[in-house]
Amino acid sequence: MSVHRSRLTRLTRLSALAAAAVLVTAGCAVGTQDPDSSSGGSAAGVGGTLVYATGVPDHLTPGRQTVAFDQVMSLFAPLVEVDSSNNISYLQAKSVTSDDAQHWTITIRQGWTFQNGEPVTAKSYVDAWNATALSTNAFENSGQLAGIQGYTDLNPSKGKPKTTTMSGLKVVDDHTFTVTLSKPDSSFPLQLSQAQTGFYPMPESAYKDLKAYDQHPIGDGPFEMTGDFTPDKEFTVKKWADYKGSNVAKVDAVTFRPYADTNTAYTDVLAGNADIVFLPTGKMTSASKDFGDRLHSFDAPGIDYLGFPLWDKRFSDKRVRQAISMSIDRQAVNKAIYGGLYAPATALTPPTMQGTPTGVCGQYCTFDPAAAKQLLAEAGGWKGGTMKIVYPGGLSLDSLYKAYANQIRQNLGIPNVVATPTTDWSEYWQSLTDSTVAGPHFGHWGALYVSQQNTLRALFTTTGGCTLCTGKYHNDEVDAMLAKADAATSTDQAAQLYADTQKVIIGDFPVVPTFFDKYSYVVSDRVGQLPASAGSPVITGITLTKS
Amino acid sequence: MITGRTALRVGQRLLGLVVVFLGVTFVIYLMVFSLPGDPIRALGGDRPLTETVIANLRAEYHLDEPVGEQYLRFLGGLLHGDLGTSFTGRSVTEQLRERWPVTIVLALTAWVFEIVLGVGLGILAALRRGTVIDKGVLAATIVLSAIPVFVLGSVAQLVFGVRLGWFPVAGSREGWPISFILPGLVIAVFGLASVSRLTRGSMLEGLGADYVRTARSLGVPPRRVVGVHVLRNSLIPTVTYLGTDLGYLLGGTVIVEGIFNLPGVGNLLVTSIRAHEGPTVVGISTALIVIFLLTSLLVDLAHGLLDPRIRRG
Repeated sequence: MSVHRSRLTRLTRLSALAAAAVLVTAGCAVGTQDPDSSSGGSAAGVGGTLVYATGVPDHLTPGRQTVAFDQVMSLFAPLVEVDSSNNISYLQAKSVTSDDAQHWTITIRQGWTFQNGEPVTAKSYVDAWNATALSTNAFENSGQLAGIQGYTDLNPSKGKPKTTTMSGLKVVDDHTFTVTLSKPDSSFPLQLSQAQTGFYPMPESAYKDLKAYDQHPIGDGPFEMTGDFTPDKEFTVKKWADYKGSNVAKVDAVTFRPYADTNTAYTDVLAGNADIVFLPTGKMTSASKDFGDRLHSFDAPGIDYLGFPLWDKRFSDKRVRQAISMSIDRQAVNKAIYGGLYAPATALTPPTMQGTPTGVCGQYCTFDPAAAKQLLAEAGGWKGGTMKIVYPGGLSLDSLYKAYANQIRQNLGIPNVVATPTTDWSEYWQSLTDSTVAGPHFGHWGALYVSQQNTLRALFTTTGGCTLCTGKYHNDEVDAMLAKADAATSTDQAAQLYADTQKVIIGDFPVVPTFFDKYSYVVSDRVGQLPASAGSPVITGITLTKS
Repeated sequence: MITGRTALRVGQRLLGLVVVFLGVTFVIYLMVFSLPGDPIRALGGDRPLTETVIANLRAEYHLDEPVGEQYLRFLGGLLHGDLGTSFTGRSVTEQLRERWPVTIVLALTAWVFEIVLGVGLGILAALRRGTVIDKGVLAATIVLSAIPVFVLGSVAQLVFGVRLGWFPVAGSREGWPISFILPGLVIAVFGLASVSRLTRGSMLEGLGADYVRTARSLGVPPRRVVGVHVLRNSLIPTVTYLGTDLGYLLGGTVIVEGIFNLPGVGNLLVTSIRAHEGPTVVGISTALIVIFLLTSLLVDLAHGLLDPRIRRG
């Protein structure tokens, strides 16, 4: 909810893989799986009901959810999937192809239905995408579709939209539709993967009553609802017998149980009353003692950083920002706060993103108090009085930000460095929106799909959506380089161009990269296999050893 | 038993209640409204929503209107029993209807623990005045009420939920009483020191009173002296305390419901404040205030039952 909760840390999934390359090349067929290979029956384990401890979900409509990834992903099948072996493959799509990275043709598999028996057709996608993009519906994930031609017609800056369909979407036949993007984007197929739920289809019955659909979503995925959903109560999804995808669930059912406080969920897993929970930050140092080998940590597609009020003269010299970066002993912080579970950042994206120029941050991301002090002196020293390190309150981030403040104070010799929490997430977010944040501040980005593109575009381009997250950083050269990388026709080439862009951004040093995220989970002793994709458990792959 | 004077008193109090109700709801509405930050922008977490989505959501929840207009809309809805819609699209009234029973059961459970344990310990301490037992009761109750509630709650979960496995760690799935015992005790512990001290103090006063000495000298059995003559008269301050305390106990559920993941209004209040959901916050806190006012009214009336001087005075 706020953002308590896992909202921050969990925002995303998908980690990366080289296989991405294959998808983008025009007309290329990728590692498709035989949809009939494993329908029905548990491959291993005893079936049973998995109890998944979650935060309090908001919505279950795929175009609306912002914290209910696990729930929605269990009910729907994405067009493209990143699986537990980090391979990218088509799932509901048969192919996603383009000759110029701008005009795409999507063919979907035949014979699929929704859980109410309606067939899954090209129209199911086109209608759902139009509904998600339409401003008057106010679907939270609308922005995921912003690259499609005609999106702005549905989202005029003033007044009501004059049309309800995007000109870039055309149904060709029952199982084929075309997508025209407003600009070439070779990463489009990756954007169709599971965590971008704004690209999921919806059955026609949904539009009759979108509110009712939100409480009882009908998907085309491995699980189906067993009753109505209310955000504050647990609900159970059961394995759907007619599911056509290859990722058939190994458990019989999953109960998603919301907890207002993740620490309580942690204790409940410890007592064996729930089976799995995302590890809250406050428990990271005690988890390995409590859970031993039942603590699992996965590479995640997220990055932690410190942003700056770049408009503030005290921070406008990049040497000041570099000095702050070099004064932070990331290893020590990692050990003290994260129980050693995280990894110090050396670039702007985690290494799991294809082509990430690991180490591009170089000496500036390496702890060196002497060099840091010298750099600060060259920049004229610190004359700004109290330096406030601002972070959102109520998210258990206090000890982390106190540690940052202590390190900066001691290693740069600045007398007053104070970790300053805002009341809550809203106030913190407002201070970024209004450009009133008083100093270096909390920053985090979890990518929704496995390309450097997502992070770089969101944080460092003028129109990427999250410029407020990086002190309204703006560099025309970066904008142009990213546009060029988007238009590349091979992913190798694109990855290289993204990496080049990272070098330019690091040259400007608008943010201090601090950590590459790991998403950690603790499980009960009933849990057997726990495959993960992009930092998050793949629910269909989880097995239980006793029911 | 209800005299004209009592009826007048009740009437005045009820009228006051309406005034307090209007004032308090408006102040709370204003407070939630002026919390820093935009609740709609925060809905997307660290992933910004597009401006058109923000504008449309704001219109949907009437957050684009001035605060006075929003408050009037809230009052208007209230007349129809409609407290508005939360950001997850659910009717607030419906949520409250589902959640109040949980909170009330929890508060009453805690209350019973507080009465039984508090009065019991108080009587014990008074009858064993000056002994180790007396001092032990004092020390134990004070130490317990000095521990922060989340610490006490977490320790109780680890010891009785995880280690011993006697009670569920969290949730209300196993129903009353098993799911409510631990959280009820954690809430009750905070009143124990006060209740037992109050009971002990007035018990001692009673034990030394003339009429008790008289009763004893007339050969009334000790059990009857303590049970009827001392206890009944000594309970007035304790009842006053316990009455108003029921209101505090309801407040105490706010934190404890979070720790024990009980789906009551306290839990909802915390999430609603976090999400800046004005109508929900006002709806819950108003109800808490009304209950508080009503219990203090009932306490006044109960005084009359225990002490004829108050009733007739």
